[in-house]
Amino acid sequence: MSIEHAVEMRGISKRFGTVQALNGVDLELRRGELLGLVGDNAAGKSTLMKTLYGSVIPDAGEIFVEGQKAALRNPRDAQALGLAMIYQDLAVFNNLDVAANVFTGREYTKRVLGITFLDKKRMYAESEALLSRLRINISSPKLLVERMSGGQRQMVAVARAIGFDATILIMDEPTAALGVKEANTLLDLMSELRDQGISIILITHRISDVLSIGDRVMVLKGGERQGVLDVEDSTLEDVEYLIVRGRPDGSG
Amino acid sequence: MTANQTPTTRVESARARVREMMAHRESGVFLALMLFFVVMYTVSPIFRRPFNLTTILRQISVTSIVAMGQTLVIVSGAFDLSQGSIAGLAAMVTAKLWKNAGLDPPIAIIGGLGVGVVCGFLNGVLAARFRLHPIVMTLATGAVFLGVNFYITRGESIIGLPDGLTWLGKGLIGPVPALIVLMFIVAFLMHILLTRTLFGLRVRMIGGNLKASQDVGMNVERIRVGIFTLSGFLSALGGIVLLGRVGNALPQIGQGLLFPVVTAAIVGGTLLTGGVGSMAGTLIGAAIMGIARNSLVVLQLNIYLQDIVQGMLVVVALLIDQFRRGELNWRIILGRDR
Repeated sequence: MSIEHAVEMRGISKRFGTVQALNGVDLELRRGELLGLVGDNAAGKSTLMKTLYGSVIPDAGEIFVEGQKAALRNPRDAQALGLAMIYQDLAVFNNLDVAANVFTGREYTKRVLGITFLDKKRMYAESEALLSRLRINISSPKLLVERMSGGQRQMVAVARAIGFDATILIMDEPTAALGVKEANTLLDLMSELRDQGISIILITHRISDVLSIGDRVMVLKGGERQGVLDVEDSTLEDVEYLIVRGRPDGSG
Repeated sequence: MTANQTPTTRVESARARVREMMAHRESGVFLALMLFFVVMYTVSPIFRRPFNLTTILRQISVTSIVAMGQTLVIVSGAFDLSQGSIAGLAAMVTAKLWKNAGLDPPIAIIGGLGVGVVCGFLNGVLAARFRLHPIVMTLATGAVFLGVNFYITRGESIIGLPDGLTWLGKGLIGPVPALIVLMFIVAFLMHILLTRTLFGLRVRMIGGNLKASQDVGMNVERIRVGIFTLSGFLSALGGIVLLGRVGNALPQIGQGLLFPVVTAAIVGGTLLTGGVGSMAGTLIGAAIMGIARNSLVVLQLNIYLQDIVQGMLVVVALLIDQFRRGELNWRIILGRDR
């Protein structure tokens, strides 16, 4: 398998009851690129990404991560390979502060008298450093997440993923619930991450987002791949045509 | 457009500020406590007698100790309705270990605490491994623990307890009643546990977002078992302290405990939905309830009003809760939310 690809998916199929959600889908994510994944509702975008993240097990097909065949039985397997998925309904802890969220599951601790205490000082310092490295504009790691905007919560989730040494980021409709300004800030963060060498797959309904910051865009329709376009030589109409009408020649 | 929006914006920002203040509920509850205290202090000469103030602290100590356990449970997103029965069973086992097995009081107390640990552990296993709903499950195990209590005691009291068994409830450390010291020690330790340890963080995590906690791969089962075990331990401790407060071992010890305990936690700002709560808040909540009860006495109002006052305080606390979480606003109350 090609080593230039951070992710390669081959012939992924998945059926839910009578619905063929995915039918022999291929996907290549080049290292350090931002790939848009677009398509109408029920095109199979989220299902495809869930198979990559190990939360849906495909009926057929193979997945390669960094050139190695991957057996993904659950999200933890995927995380161990450097994948991180950021959902729309975020897995953040609203009742905790930013630092606790960034360090979820790998907290710094120190043992005193057999009791595991949190090393809060270190977590605050390191999450502050991480936020500033990612140029995320959150004033303090002590802020409670529940008092943050949707965009800031997404950024906390991104910071957490990157803090976990994720190199491949899957973002599922991150801007859907955000205002224009916040969405743009998040898109800026994504290009920043791409420039830092992170490979990103962005599921979105906003094709213009992909065309403004993406490298390539892949179109799904009815659980099948319709084509992959280079953003440089594609227009909004080209992408929309594929989304609505599918492959021009009907073969792909 | 902009001119039209300005007043709205001002109202919005005022609302945001109120919401901000409500979010720091400990400070709000503490303010309420202070206000209540100052009013009573000014109004009633009986209230401000040192003896009376100590009495209030003595009265809230058992409630507080047990409520610290309940707070931990509620923050984790569950409830422990068996606490009163565990307190009673632990107290009676302690008394019986002394009376029938002839054990020294300290050993008997350790045995009683052990009973609390076992009961709590059982609750934890049923909640975590068998995934039973904690409210109904602890209601059921509470009935079982109460039944065991009456079965082994045949409903008979044990009177004439030795000092060793009553010291926790009656004894003094210098001039200070031992149970008040114990209350503050428990509060301090539980505060540290909830805010400074990995276990405490895990408790807040599973109460705040259970699914995300599971996704992270933390051992939710073990944490739940730990929570209920601690709750059982503190219930037993409360029950044993009650032995000393009452002076005799009555099988019905602990039966009135649950409501004030849950009340203290709720008035103290613990969110019923889990994830949010503090030991300081619960202590303050218990103090508010204690002063409320005491003021009925010192103002020579009918003591039977106390249930009414207590019940209404809980309703008010729940309302504040709803406002705070944005589940309720004046538009909804006035029926204008369409």
